[in-house]
Amino acid sequence: MKEINIFNNHFYLHKTGAIFWKEKDTLLLADIHLGKVEHFRKSGIPVPRKVQGVFYEKISRLKNSLNFSRVIFLGDLFHSSLNNEWFLFENWVKKSSLKIILIKGNHDIIPKYKFKQIGIESYGDLKIEKFFFTHHPKKIDNFFVFSGHIHPGVKLIGKGRQLMKLPCFIYNKEQIILPSFGGFTGMHFPKIKNSDKVFVITKREIIEVKKN
Amino acid sequence: MNPVEKWFKSNGWKPQDFQIDCWEHYSKGENLMLHAPTGTGKTYAIWGGILNESFELKKIKEGINVIWITPLRALAVEIQKSTQQLSRDLKTDIKVDLRTGDTPQSIRIKQNQNFPFGLITTPESLHVLLSSRKHKDFFKNLRAVVVDEWHELLGTKRGVQTELAISYLRFLIPKLKTIGISATLGNKELAGEILMGLGNNFKTITSKIKKKINVKSIIPKSMERFPWRGHLGTHLIDEVIKIIRKGKTTLIFTNTRSQCEIWYHKIIHSYPELSGVIAMHHGSIDKKIRLWVENGLREKKLKVVVCTSSLDLGVDFSPVETCIQVGSPKGVGRFIQRAGRSGHQPNNPSTIYFLPTHAIELIESVALQEGIKQQMIEDRLPHINSYDVLLQFLTTLAVGGGFFPDQIFSVIKKTFSFHTINSSKWEWILNFLTKGSQSLEYYDEFKKVNILEDGMMMVLDKGVALRHRLSMGTIVSDAVLKIKYQTGKNLGTIEEWFISKLSRGDVFTFAGKNLELLTLKGMEVIVRKSNVKKAKIPAWIGGRFSFSSNLSDLLKKTFHNKKNYSTHEFKALKSIFKQQNRESKIPNSDELLIERFKTSEGFHTLFYLFEGYAVNEAISSLLAYRISLLKPITFTISVNDYGFELLSDQEFDRNIFLENNLLTKEYLLDDLSKSVNISEMSRRKFREIAVISGLVFQGYPRKPIKTKHLQSGSQLFYDVFKEHEPDNLLYLQAINETFDHAIESPRIQRSFEKIEHLRIVWKDCKYPTPFSFPLITDRIRSKLSSESVEDRIRKMYLQLEMSVK
Repeated sequence: MKEINIFNNHFYLHKTGAIFWKEKDTLLLADIHLGKVEHFRKSGIPVPRKVQGVFYEKISRLKNSLNFSRVIFLGDLFHSSLNNEWFLFENWVKKSSLKIILIKGNHDIIPKYKFKQIGIESYGDLKIEKFFFTHHPKKIDNFFVFSGHIHPGVKLIGKGRQLMKLPCFIYNKEQIILPSFGGFTGMHFPKIKNSDKVFVITKREIIEVKKN
Repeated sequence: MNPVEKWFKSNGWKPQDFQIDCWEHYSKGENLMLHAPTGTGKTYAIWGGILNESFELKKIKEGINVIWITPLRALAVEIQKSTQQLSRDLKTDIKVDLRTGDTPQSIRIKQNQNFPFGLITTPESLHVLLSSRKHKDFFKNLRAVVVDEWHELLGTKRGVQTELAISYLRFLIPKLKTIGISATLGNKELAGEILMGLGNNFKTITSKIKKKINVKSIIPKSMERFPWRGHLGTHLIDEVIKIIRKGKTTLIFTNTRSQCEIWYHKIIHSYPELSGVIAMHHGSIDKKIRLWVENGLREKKLKVVVCTSSLDLGVDFSPVETCIQVGSPKGVGRFIQRAGRSGHQPNNPSTIYFLPTHAIELIESVALQEGIKQQMIEDRLPHINSYDVLLQFLTTLAVGGGFFPDQIFSVIKKTFSFHTINSSKWEWILNFLTKGSQSLEYYDEFKKVNILEDGMMMVLDKGVALRHRLSMGTIVSDAVLKIKYQTGKNLGTIEEWFISKLSRGDVFTFAGKNLELLTLKGMEVIVRKSNVKKAKIPAWIGGRFSFSSNLSDLLKKTFHNKKNYSTHEFKALKSIFKQQNRESKIPNSDELLIERFKTSEGFHTLFYLFEGYAVNEAISSLLAYRISLLKPITFTISVNDYGFELLSDQEFDRNIFLENNLLTKEYLLDDLSKSVNISEMSRRKFREIAVISGLVFQGYPRKPIKTKHLQSGSQLFYDVFKEHEPDNLLYLQAINETFDHAIESPRIQRSFEKIEHLRIVWKDCKYPTPFSFPLITDRIRSKLSSESVEDRIRKMYLQLEMSVK
């Protein structure tokens, strides 16, 4: 994990793409796109069903190593309209005994009351102390912003014409953008500014990228 | 004497032997396979037989009597004209119509109500017909199916599509006659067997007409500035203009669409006096413009046309006197085909100039001339077990009124492509279509093909049916956008990824015009003409051709045969050979030359096997894998027809190579398949498979339907199959197809037997050598690594975004 300090709070960037907020025992996750597998299958595109389980496995493994009692989803929790995935999710929510907050993303078209019924509060965006949680990356004066939406990735080059594409966190003084935590999501490659720090994630590690 | 023969006589013509043979055997009800060069009267031979038969019938039944399949839309137009004309000349009221991707919806509806006697179509459009619920009705009076230019389809997935359609039509109409027409091929007999399907007899007829071909190399006056690499060849533009001025009409064949754009642009720019009599023709240009160019050629209004393979086939342009081939044609057969576009009258010779784009290609010119002399036409090898095409076909049947699995299993078993399919694979395929997986799971909402009570498999969901109809076909491209003027005039299509790199106001070249990007509207790019001189040239994603094995054999022989050193081509290469000898060596036929040098990019190790792209690629991957077992190392690999390069950031010692017997043929196939897994070369192949099998829906120009939540990349599918479903047949197909399907294990093994006996000559060089140049500058690379991802990341840097050049 990589530790970063913002306004005297400790945040840990995890190789899975999650962020653990130590002071508040909170886990931040972005762009899970639950139900995407089911949505594709319903339209006749046979995505393996095992992919559906990836989110639940990843988060239960995290629970074993990090002590969080609250999860904030930074948008695009669900991919599309309601389907059978909802039952899996509902089941997980009941068993997990976590406090769950949803920041709505552009894909979140499932009505608010459905979330309310299972004890999840949803917001357009959310302020906690000096921290701002939202789906689309943006700048907010005097706040530090956490967001997702773009599924950031970077291309790395090395000697011998090596090239690699990896998902990453993009971090600067004002904000951090989280990679997608989902099991069936793509990547986009935004322009990286000089002031940005980039942390790529692999199955084993999180590594800060050199910029040359 | 039959009616067509009489008609020949009344015109004072004499039918050729093969034409008489065709008429005779057709009238006996036999299946035919005709081999004859283009422009020798093939259409008369076949359509004549069909007309003769129609005179015998008491009454011609309504509906489609004959289906004529062609690989190209342009060719379909041509065939429609000539068959319709012949029918009219013989005073029949037989009607022949077109049904291709260009046929408007309104005409299709009219046809569906009252089909003509003959229907000229393409494999894709035939499959679209099969997806109609009424297709059994359409075909109930079908008598014959003709497959034209079969050599072009064979060896492609469209060929598999054709095999499936024919086997299915035979199932509907057991007495159906199948007729194949093909240019000369290496594997003639096999070509017929594949088309006819298993267990069907057929008669092979071969025309004895031989075409004389003159080949000339364009040799630069001075070799000093002749490039060691490159693929454009525009430095020889003045020589080309001389040739154009000499002849009446000239076709300039290029290998890619962007090369075509660049040549057109350069000619117009340097020789503005040619404007008005020069045009361009490639597959992405709008149909109307293409037809205009084709007519301009026929009517002698055009003097020069720069084109791609879009003008390779059949279309008869009698005025064409000369062809110029820019860069390697990659095969003797294709070179002859292109040469045949000139001197189209039966007794005229064809003339073709070979324009080398870099020095080494001059050797190829000598090899090609030898190949033509010996008539070393390549084999076309069929695709086997293309499950992607099979899945698409079954979905087509399920959309078109449904199918019973047992019946269709026997249809499929009779095709050459699937004759080895067993019932467990078949079961897998059916489960994939009906359950989306191999086991029944709870909560699953998978919906594609439904199983009805009587066991019939059918698509019931309208959305599934619509998406399938829109994405049928086996030719894969990136999502394409239409290019239009503000007035609405169409210019053609362009791939989305190119446009996505441009901003409003940017100027790019298309169809020979400089165009300014105004706006993007849905699936349309709106442009206006621009006077800006410097423009971006679009690149289209396309496969790269590989040397045929014939040509690589020829090349090796040519190269090592000292007699050839007296040819113009070799004389021109003298200074380059000298330099190669100074820096390194020109290998003898019993030597394997390996070069090593260091540049700022890293350590370059080059191997010159002269085995052709396909074999070189397989061996490069195998060697990289074997070296990577000895130490953690990462290679990026580039391959061409002459050899390959292993580039690495760390040095591996020559002794590692010399002492470990890395070129042994032991465990050859095992190591090869492991190297494929590690290098993930199959990713590239999977893209096409994902589109054909319907995993990735691309949408369609002008028919945007709501698919936003259904879009995903094929790469994502590749990853999830690899991780969660490694026994998925489509994933396995990608691995099997990784190396050119022409590479079967016997060919690799044969190559290895030769390589094992070569004497290794390792040269440490100070600088890149002439031979190495095309390889080290190649941008298309694959990689193979035995280092951990994390170790590699620590040595790498962020790539800064660059705009397209």
